[in-house]
Amino acid sequence: MGRLAIGSILPILFLLVWEAANRTGVLTLESLSRPSDILVAGVAGLRDGSILLATVQTFETALLGLAIAAIAGILVGAILGLSPVLERITGPTIESLRPIPAVAFMPLVLMMFGFGISMEATIVAYACVWPILIVTISAVQAIEPRLLEVADVLEMPVTDRLRKIVFPSAFARINVGLRVATGIALVVAVTVEIVLNPRGLGYSLVLAQQSLNVGAMYAQLLWLCVVGYVLNAIIRNAGPGAPVTFWRPVQ
Amino acid sequence: MQVSNEAVAPRRDPGASVPAVSMRALSLSFGALPPARRTILDSITLDVREGEFLCIVGPSGSGKTTLLRLLAGLVQASAGEIRFRGQPISGPSRERAIVFQDYSKALLPWRTVRANVALSLEARKVPASEQGPVIDALLAKMGLANAAHQFPGQLSGGMQQRVQIARCLAQHPNILLMDEPFGALDAMTRQGLQDEILLLAGEQAMTVVFITHDLEEAIYLGDRVVVLGGVPAQIVKTVDIDLPRPRDQLTTREDPRFLAHRHRLFGLLRGH
Amino acid sequence: MSKAGWTRIAAFGFALSLILAWQVLADLRLISPIFFPSPARAAAVLVARFADGSIWTPLVATGLRMLFGWLLASLIGILIGAAIGSSRITRLLLEPTLEFLRPLPASAMIPVAVLFLGLSNAMSLSVIAFGAIWPVLLASVHGFSTVQPELRQVSDVLGFGRGAFLRKIALPSALPDIMAGLRVSLAISLILAVVTEMQASLPGLGWEIFYAQRVYRSPDLYAGLILLGVMGYCANHLLMRFESRMLRWRKTKL
Repeated sequence: MGRLAIGSILPILFLLVWEAANRTGVLTLESLSRPSDILVAGVAGLRDGSILLATVQTFETALLGLAIAAIAGILVGAILGLSPVLERITGPTIESLRPIPAVAFMPLVLMMFGFGISMEATIVAYACVWPILIVTISAVQAIEPRLLEVADVLEMPVTDRLRKIVFPSAFARINVGLRVATGIALVVAVTVEIVLNPRGLGYSLVLAQQSLNVGAMYAQLLWLCVVGYVLNAIIRNAGPGAPVTFWRPVQ
Repeated sequence: MQVSNEAVAPRRDPGASVPAVSMRALSLSFGALPPARRTILDSITLDVREGEFLCIVGPSGSGKTTLLRLLAGLVQASAGEIRFRGQPISGPSRERAIVFQDYSKALLPWRTVRANVALSLEARKVPASEQGPVIDALLAKMGLANAAHQFPGQLSGGMQQRVQIARCLAQHPNILLMDEPFGALDAMTRQGLQDEILLLAGEQAMTVVFITHDLEEAIYLGDRVVVLGGVPAQIVKTVDIDLPRPRDQLTTREDPRFLAHRHRLFGLLRGH
Repeated sequence: MSKAGWTRIAAFGFALSLILAWQVLADLRLISPIFFPSPARAAAVLVARFADGSIWTPLVATGLRMLFGWLLASLIGILIGAAIGSSRITRLLLEPTLEFLRPLPASAMIPVAVLFLGLSNAMSLSVIAFGAIWPVLLASVHGFSTVQPELRQVSDVLGFGRGAFLRKIALPSALPDIMAGLRVSLAISLILAVVTEMQASLPGLGWEIFYAQRVYRSPDLYAGLILLGVMGYCANHLLMRFESRMLRWRKTKL
């Protein structure tokens, strides 16, 4: 709490100076509205539900893309992690595809799906699949080999092997990758909305800017900060110890 | 506890009237009020003579390192006074070089051996053109000539500690403080370095304060041995070591006087 | 041939077979040529554009954008990171604000930047710098605040002032962290270069891809994607080479 208090000194000071400078006419820029105006616009946006609607739109798209990436990434990652040969063979292909920025695919995916959720979710999925894939591979490779030998001796089928041994052991590390991917999902979703897609927080941000509704624009920027911060806080605290897991890995 | 003032066959001429270091009722405590208040050192009174090789020995955690850090000026006392050559110690200074136990953390891993030693010369503002020969001489003396262009990470523990000592010597210190410098090394390396440091200290008539938990090492190296013990730590005993110099790993350690000292002090260490 | 040699051939073969399969599917018109043109046509476009030199302007434009934005971000990031990492007070004052600003997607700053700077290169550079600064900044803060305390003490004993300590000891000590941050920043710089080009119709590979879509010239689109991948890969590779040279001392030969 004390930390929060000290940390808010500078921002509060900054806001006060900004407000004062604007009101006394020292610093008036059309592109920069007063903190009080921003606050008013923000409250209005929340009141009429537009900000919340946009937030939901962004989140549902990001979640969809993240889910696709997670399923694909974890499955493929598990297989590649279990088979060093396969991993080495597919390695260069993966390394060649990874550096291509997901956002570069926007025009292509737009051609295929048109505007809307599918297009945005696809881009999000492409961006998120790589960190998840890589983390899953290394998580699976770090599984205690003895456990895998036990699976061999018990002649477990692949599905059982994955379900009962691979995933539970690798979960903690994969979880970290998922957290990273969640952050990426949000950023990519907003980016697609800013450049192309007419829905979500990114789009309403651009709308505010283009209609010169500057106060609303800054208000939404602040809202994005809050949303991102809360999301990160949730992610940080929802580790393997969260209610989602009700067992402990054999360690 | 009293300071032993017996001047039994002093190794050096007690020419300096002012002791190198003088401590009077020195204490160090942490925390504001009891019960949170922890006293590490309690009323330490001790003199270190110029040119003396003083060993401070005590069990682990007995406050030896804290005492050394007080001498180095890296930490301030809570009570009492501590002086170096008559002047109060108010902070760290180039005059008082300190060799840390964990050599890997006290060397710059991104600089070569030469460059690590050069650090002290840079601190003394020696012009770059003059640094070369000084470093060469020092490296030769410490047996590091062949490793001059290697990085600490490529060297063994003993070599790394030599580099640290070389760096400290390059400071031109007036007193060398050593914090269990050979504790992390194997027995053979340790013995080799013990003799090297005796040689160095002898040549330069250097004042050395040497901390160790190894009683035999303390007796082997020192002109005097101070036993620290108890919680909070106090000086339990001070003993003058009347063994002849130069010391020898075989003969000195079998000398009856050595064994006698060992017997006397062993019990003191165990007792606390 | 060693096992490693065989695996490398197999890996190459895998990638090649994917491309060949794609080519076959395209030739047989089993996949739409609009969305998935044959690799041969994409390659042909690349060759043609290299031949007539028209590829260089957008390639260099994106490259320079990425580079300058990254350099700017790195410089500022390291300086601020050093200031924050080496001073507890500064950390306490600034860290919460930074934690609050960090989750903001850099692309969200595009509308603000457009308001102030219009659809210009300056807008692009400032957005790239804003986005790329975070990994370097955070890595620098971490690096500067985790200098071995023993080194700090050595510096005090030797009598180095704060400036000399930062220069001779803190900075080299923080370098491994900083280099890791620089690599992530470079990747972000490339992404934001592409995004800002698309948004503001600035010349570059991003814009080429955007334009190719609008005129339904998908081989050009794919050619652009391939070039972006190559550029990203090369930039990262060069940086990694630089990093291992700077951090030579990390190899312990014991």
